[in-house]
Amino acid sequence: MHELGILMGAINTVENFAKKNGVTKIQTLVLQIGELSSMIPKYIEDCYPTAVEGTLLQETELKIEILPGNAICKSCNHVFNLIENEDTCPNCGTQDWEILCGKEFMIKEIIAC
Amino acid sequence: MDAYKVLEIKQSVFDDNDQQADLLRTELKKEQTFLLNLMSSPGSGKTTTVLRTIEALQDEMTIGIMEADIDSDVDARTVAGTGTKVIQLHTGGMCHLDADMTRQGLLGLGTADIDFAILENVGNLVCPAEFDTGASKNAMILSVPEGDDKPLKYPLMFSIVDVLLINKIDAVDYFDFDFEAVKERVTKLNPGIKVIPISAKTGEGISEWADWLRTEVGSWNGI
Repeated sequence: MHELGILMGAINTVENFAKKNGVTKIQTLVLQIGELSSMIPKYIEDCYPTAVEGTLLQETELKIEILPGNAICKSCNHVFNLIENEDTCPNCGTQDWEILCGKEFMIKEIIAC
Repeated sequence: MDAYKVLEIKQSVFDDNDQQADLLRTELKKEQTFLLNLMSSPGSGKTTTVLRTIEALQDEMTIGIMEADIDSDVDARTVAGTGTKVIQLHTGGMCHLDADMTRQGLLGLGTADIDFAILENVGNLVCPAEFDTGASKNAMILSVPEGDDKPLKYPLMFSIVDVLLINKIDAVDYFDFDFEAVKERVTKLNPGIKVIPISAKTGEGISEWADWLRTEVGSWNGI
């Protein structure tokens, strides 16, 4: 359970961005979490109210977008989802692949004024 | 009604820490201080390994130790017994150290006369792997009783370290631990990794570990 500390860092980044850009009210914060990252969306949601307490984001709604954990097979170049296919290429059955996406934890955007 | 609009940020949450870590590394290089980030799960023998490392290298270089824990100072007290400069860092509940906390630790330790600093990270195989501390090199300890399946369960940790110490090899007869399986698993995750089996208790393998450190500290500090 390390979501709280990491989320507080992210909130800090958003606050700095808001100050730099003259933002006074943030309605929504959109985070992107990869399926293969070590962040668990449910935990992020649970600790969010605590992380934003006393910050510019205190009243801000949180939205999370999940990014798929996809890989490309090194043998047959097939692109597939690692979790759905249990780390095995559904096309040729090998386990020799390279991750394309899914490890991200990104601050995507804010809806603000 | 104020007009709300979408402002794109598109920044990785880890970006800020990565930049801090790169900056710290550049400063350490200038100061000729080699920083080793030592990670493992709790109870793998980190502190005993640190003691052995001090013993092996203290006549050749000035060593400083930072002990990071959520609470207590038992590790720092143990190390202080060797006469080596040591400070205890408390993470206040956080399960890892980031570059900023490492910087504060180094300030507390005072790096001007230190050739080789060891950061004993919080005992945890998950979070410390995600946060670059600004260290020159990363090492981890896997101890025999933990089992040979750990690279499968915590792949990120095994993929980011430069060296893997397999500790407690003196106890191998009591556990079903397959060295070849571990080597195969970690090499698949991290082809450049160096694996050194040691026993911090008996001292076996420590000379190979000390050799690796001697070379790395020397090339970092330009000796």
